[in-house]
Amino acid sequence: MSENRIGLLVGTIAVTVMVFLILPQLILLVQSFTAEDYLSFPPKHFGLRWYAFIFGDETWRRALSTSLLIAVLVTPLAVIIGTAAAIGLDRGPMRMRKAMRTALVSPMVLPHVVLGMAIYRVFLPLRFDDTLAGFMVAHLVLCVPYVIVTVGASLQAMDRSLEQAAMSLGASLPVALWRVVLPLVRPGVIAGAVFAFITSFDEFIVTYFLASRQTTAPIQIFSSLSYQLEPSIAAVSGLTLVVTAALCGLLILRGSMAGTTQMA
Amino acid sequence: MASDASLPSSLADPRGKRMSLKNLGRQGFGRLGWWGLLAPAMALYALVFFMPLGVLVGESVHPSGAPQLSLANYAAFFTDGVTFSIFARTVRLAFFVTLTCLVFGYPLALFMRRAGPVLRLVALTIVVSPLLTSVIVRNVAWLLVLGREGMVNTLLRQAGLIDAPLPLLYNTFGVVVGVTHVYLAFLVLPVFSSLLAIDPSVEQAASSLGASRFTVFRKVTVPLSLPGVIAGSTLVFVLTMGVYLTPVIMGGSFVTTLPMVMTDLVRTQFDWSRAAAFAIVLLAFIAIVMVASSRAERRIERMRGEL
Repeated sequence: MSENRIGLLVGTIAVTVMVFLILPQLILLVQSFTAEDYLSFPPKHFGLRWYAFIFGDETWRRALSTSLLIAVLVTPLAVIIGTAAAIGLDRGPMRMRKAMRTALVSPMVLPHVVLGMAIYRVFLPLRFDDTLAGFMVAHLVLCVPYVIVTVGASLQAMDRSLEQAAMSLGASLPVALWRVVLPLVRPGVIAGAVFAFITSFDEFIVTYFLASRQTTAPIQIFSSLSYQLEPSIAAVSGLTLVVTAALCGLLILRGSMAGTTQMA
Repeated sequence: MASDASLPSSLADPRGKRMSLKNLGRQGFGRLGWWGLLAPAMALYALVFFMPLGVLVGESVHPSGAPQLSLANYAAFFTDGVTFSIFARTVRLAFFVTLTCLVFGYPLALFMRRAGPVLRLVALTIVVSPLLTSVIVRNVAWLLVLGREGMVNTLLRQAGLIDAPLPLLYNTFGVVVGVTHVYLAFLVLPVFSSLLAIDPSVEQAASSLGASRFTVFRKVTVPLSLPGVIAGSTLVFVLTMGVYLTPVIMGGSFVTTLPMVMTDLVRTQFDWSRAAAFAIVLLAFIAIVMVASSRAERRIERMRGEL
């Protein structure tokens, strides 16, 4: 009797928590399609009115395209730097490997407020703070750890004998890495790319320190919030949500979720 | 790696000497190659991670640009009457959030362990999905759910359960809800993976010896999942200590955290060196928590080894 009750309790809590985790995003998505002047629950009329508004509005269009541009440029760079570093960490000399790995993933646990302050302090005298290049360099250091973790997980799961087979058949090390290892860790590379893109596209606090005239979508949402919670904010948020959900869907379809469990 | 690389070719070539020379050359080149692979990341980190943090440390001991060293900013952290109490409140918030994550995350991890493959994938997707959604978007979503005219208040009012809207935002409750939503996955994933690592036969042995299911859970499952619990709780605690955005949006001006104080010092008062000192204190605190937690984890592993 009591055994069933415990199972039921665990199941109930689990389902409640899962609803708690996805409900807000669903509500946001529903509300973003309101056709009214104000956000209210539930919306009485639905339409694409506010999505049309953000694409027509100069400020939102600029913020969104800046975010998109930065993420599109940062992602391949982060993937190249991160994948190279992950292979170097995994196959390189044993000494210092652990210390190096800790150093390379540390931007993930360091409070980003501290990192934002520190980067701002260094960029300011160089007049590098309010520039897209400055944003990109700062985002890069936040994105690379994700690639290192996901590619690292794939490398660990990989069958080492394949690489050794290639080399015993005469492939040099660089050729074995390029032709054998890289194709095998592709799920990790793809997962890393998705994480890097999302991290850059959604980055707030570090950019917030650096930005004064330039804006990105998260910064623009934040500064609009200080006036009023308008339907345009819901629409921009909804758009961001759809883009990231599509990317995550891609991840699940490609079966690259395995890397994400390693994240924490 | 070096031995891996040399093994097949030395096997293939019994002549030995010339081949090993050639291998030596390849290894030497290989080591340079490995460093070459790490070099771009190291250069990036040196310039945009370690150097800025170093500058921050330097800044913190030179109050208002004075040339001589001084620990005045560090003293201010404890004696200015405001900062330390805000720090204590941030610790309390992190504690609440960690506890909430444990209470709700542990059952979810248990559920995921028992679920079949499809249900498990669905649950895993739901747990990870908030991690992949921008923090600010999630906060905006919560404003729509918990606000005065939000979903919860509207539904409760329509059901006739309340007359005036409940204060669900701009207080500690709202911030705990928001931060828990952001960081829950960081607790569920490590707990889930340490639950998965438990050999079911251990639990079967306990129950075949007559333990009830609850006793098995209490005496076998929970202790064996402790490493994951410690790792996850530490991660949530540490991340909450550094949280800025969620308290600003969902706490209004009613909940202040240490990162908010630091940001304000830099952005509106331009008091770099004081903000830097506070940042260093925060980092030191986080480092202590993480070292203590990894010690605890290792001690548990050792105890298990003795069994």
